[in-house]
Amino acid sequence: MQTLIIIDRPPYGSWSGRESLDMAFSLAAFDQPVSLLFVGEGVLWLNKGQDATGIAQKSVERNLKAAAMFGIESLMADQSACQRFSLTGQTLIDGVETVENLRATLRRYDHVVFPG
Amino acid sequence: MHTLHIVSKSPEHPRFRECLAMVDTNDAVLLTGNGVVALADTSIEVPSPLYGLKDDIQARALTPDSAQCQVIGFDDMVALTIQAQRVISW
Amino acid sequence: MSQESCHFTLVITGAPYSSQAPQTALGFAWAVVASGHAIDRVFLYGEGVHLASALSCPPSDETNWTSAWGEFLEQHSVPGIACIASALRRGLIDPAEQQRHELPASNLAAPFSIAGLGEWVEGVMQSSRVIYFHGGD
Repeated sequence: MQTLIIIDRPPYGSWSGRESLDMAFSLAAFDQPVSLLFVGEGVLWLNKGQDATGIAQKSVERNLKAAAMFGIESLMADQSACQRFSLTGQTLIDGVETVENLRATLRRYDHVVFPG
Repeated sequence: MHTLHIVSKSPEHPRFRECLAMVDTNDAVLLTGNGVVALADTSIEVPSPLYGLKDDIQARALTPDSAQCQVIGFDDMVALTIQAQRVISW
Repeated sequence: MSQESCHFTLVITGAPYSSQAPQTALGFAWAVVASGHAIDRVFLYGEGVHLASALSCPPSDETNWTSAWGEFLEQHSVPGIACIASALRRGLIDPAEQQRHELPASNLAAPFSIAGLGEWVEGVMQSSRVIYFHGGD
């Protein structure tokens, strides 16, 4: 069962994305194949240089940097959303694969999960 | 049917548009909760085949065109989720 | 009916009284058992954990979704599980967590229990279908 967890909301302003990330880490901890896809405003999760100390939260950038180490297969981002938010190779965190065709990407997974 | 897309968001929610862009040939869409608002929104080009949950449609006094949307109950919803190879909830 | 029985895991992420998710999921759940299929578990995640609060007390002419769900779970012996991380963050506490965190009270409604995301992972691995019920916002 190949799972794709999609994050389509921006970071910090709500908790649903964080809880989606927990789902991904949890599947990986049980050795289940899982990837993360960021679309729409969700691509802002992948912006380099986040500092959430001022809003008393943990940086999600740090979590995402550890994703590969914890067994999450890939971090993907919708290319058109990256363009919309001016995220380029320099500003995206390392290890993110941009995808052009979302429909084809979704088709590769038999279990697709959105935040609530 | 390949994918059954269950949409509980209203058309003005960004995820509604995301969903419509992902509907593929051999897919079907089921509107539940706020999703049925799409049946009253004349600015929306709805995909086909389209299903809508009866209780949600009745609650909002909507009268969808039967050629456009098949009004179904929970038993049909269960059958659709079993028929589909994959179910995505938006 | 010769149709093979299907096993579902239901995941509710929308809270009662702020979304329709618990109502839609309950309508679906009754239809699953009525059509001869089975529900392995109901998993409450994120805002969905509020459904398991014994302290929600809607006006008497409104549906009490916690009791309505409790009745279904008991009648069909289906485990109703609230995710522990989502639950503790939002103040949904069982007696064991009350003791562990030295909290003044617990409020988990029977027959719900609290457990980790591993319960959801098991659903993903073993159920024939995992269906998510999200809120409308």
